[in-house]
Amino acid sequence: MRTLRDAFSFGDLPLVERIGFAIFIMFCTLFPWVTKGSFDQAVMIQFLIFCLYGLGWNLIGGYGGQVALGQAKNVGMSAYTVALLMVWWDIPFWLSTPLGVVVATIESFVLGYFLFRLRGHYFAIATIAVSLVWQQLFINWDLIGGARGVELPLKETPNFLYMQFASPIYYHYFAFLLVLAAILYMNWFRKSRLGYQLRSITSNEEVAESLGINAHWVKVKAYCITGVFAGMGGAFYTVYYNYIDPFSVMHLELSVMIALMTMIGGAGSMWGPIIGAMILIPLDRYLGAWLGGSGIIGVDFMIYALMVMIISAYEPKGIWGIIEKVRARR
Amino acid sequence: MPLLEIIDLTKDFGGVAANNHISLEIERGEIIGLIGPNGAGKTTLFNCIVGYHKPNQGAIRFKGKDITGLKPFQTNREGIGRTFQIMSISGDLTVLENVMVGSFCKTSDRRTARQEASEIMNLTGLEQDAEARLTELPVATQKRVGLAMALATKPELLMLDEVASGLNPRETEEMVALLKNIYVVKGLTLFLTEHVMEVVMPISQRIIVLDGGQKIAEGRPQDIANNERVIRAYLGEKYAKGRRDRGSI
Ligand SMILES: Nc1ncnc2c1ncn2[C@@H]1O[C@H](COP(=O)(O)OP(=O)(O)OP(=O)(O)O)[C@@H](O)[C@H]1O
Ligand SMILES: [Mg+2]
Repeated sequence: MRTLRDAFSFGDLPLVERIGFAIFIMFCTLFPWVTKGSFDQAVMIQFLIFCLYGLGWNLIGGYGGQVALGQAKNVGMSAYTVALLMVWWDIPFWLSTPLGVVVATIESFVLGYFLFRLRGHYFAIATIAVSLVWQQLFINWDLIGGARGVELPLKETPNFLYMQFASPIYYHYFAFLLVLAAILYMNWFRKSRLGYQLRSITSNEEVAESLGINAHWVKVKAYCITGVFAGMGGAFYTVYYNYIDPFSVMHLELSVMIALMTMIGGAGSMWGPIIGAMILIPLDRYLGAWLGGSGIIGVDFMIYALMVMIISAYEPKGIWGIIEKVRARR
Repeated sequence: MPLLEIIDLTKDFGGVAANNHISLEIERGEIIGLIGPNGAGKTTLFNCIVGYHKPNQGAIRFKGKDITGLKPFQTNREGIGRTFQIMSISGDLTVLENVMVGSFCKTSDRRTARQEASEIMNLTGLEQDAEARLTELPVATQKRVGLAMALATKPELLMLDEVASGLNPRETEEMVALLKNIYVVKGLTLFLTEHVMEVVMPISQRIIVLDGGQKIAEGRPQDIANNERVIRAYLGEKYAKGRRDRGSI
């Protein structure tokens, strides 16, 4: 009961933030009705998926201060679970998704359990290494489609059980609901014991341990929750695109994108991941569409890298950090 | 049964014995001072007790239970709280939030944690600093924050590492008064290291002296103050000379 009340209560936030949140909700609710362009709608859904990833990554990467660069494999594992269960046994989305999320979470748990013995850069590098290994495994594993990926069989008529719809509007609202749920969770989280403990570990692990906090275990827990978010996103991704391969959902680039986006927006803050996605996703898609024609590859990533450098030199807490500073000065 | 029992504890760092065959006992409700010159091994002993260092040899018992080799978070849950000689907390946690982290050790309910944290902040005189960040505060206040954080975990034994270092005489006096108050209100056992004599002497019931990693003396404050070996080791030749000149301390 109290948990729910904490999740739904935004009363402790400044008025501006609550107004901003209301505008965000209105914008997402009305968006499909004011835009008719299918490209714009696709970008919007991308944005929502990345909000979900970012909000989840923010737990371990922002509040927990651990540069984990392996979200893609959690996304991928859940995505593959959902896709393969449908291809092999015709299992509907609503049954396969919980399984996919469990698979993603278990992977987080096992990996976190071992990797959190490492610190700082070593941890980041280890998560990259493991991601690369998993991706190679998926590329070469013919049973699950190998490099060709997996295509979901289409039902003849739109089907709620398999989340197959004729119009993107349905996907839009489903993704939006997922993001809202994620925001409510994070709103609970930031006031919870876990949230405080995680932030305390980030400030000073030695001090945190002296206050009875099992830092290793708390990090593993947070990493598992991050895995749940990624798993949810992966499951949705699968039914939205009806096609996955090791390059779209298992790619290191996706992990890096999630981390960069959150850092640019403001890691360790409630709204940072959303702000990051709001800037990077449209930039990525429209810039990609524009540059794609000219055949220049990698310019987009160079632009992100530049943004990260500028922001981390000026304000390590990202755009949200800048906003807070400006607010404190007034 | 003593509350804390240290039996023949040795810790060396690559040949340097920072703690050399130390044994001691602390009874419940005592205030024990641990003194010794710089590098005597006081902080090392604290770190061994709470499990931050693993002793090379010896055993530590708390409430009769062997706690040797437990991790810091485990010894805290057993009932040992500690403050740090130098506590650097970065990040954006406010003082109130840091104290709440301590309270969350024993409860998962946010309102309870907040309530308890506020009470402890009143007790330690931090009402005004709830929203401040640690780095913005003067040393004396930072020391009280460390104390409040440790207290929030509801320890039975509170170990304070140089809680008065860097404080001016007035602040030191206030700290001593605060410690006395906490000791009574919370019914604690206190174990404090210090090289500022003004803190240890008036409140300790018993004093243990380390020098070069070894326990060189133990006794009532007035006896320690007159102990020739302590004076030489701890206070240095200058004071020993002064003592000879004046005839006593
Ligand atoms: N982590 C460590 N690694 C190596 N040597 C250490 C370590 N910690 C302490 N030492 C050494 O152990 C000895 C005891 O140090 P310790 O910090 O315990 O002394 P102290 O009595 O707390 O001194 P101070 O009054 O300066 O705080 C010193 O010689 C110190 O250099
Ligand atoms: Mg010391």
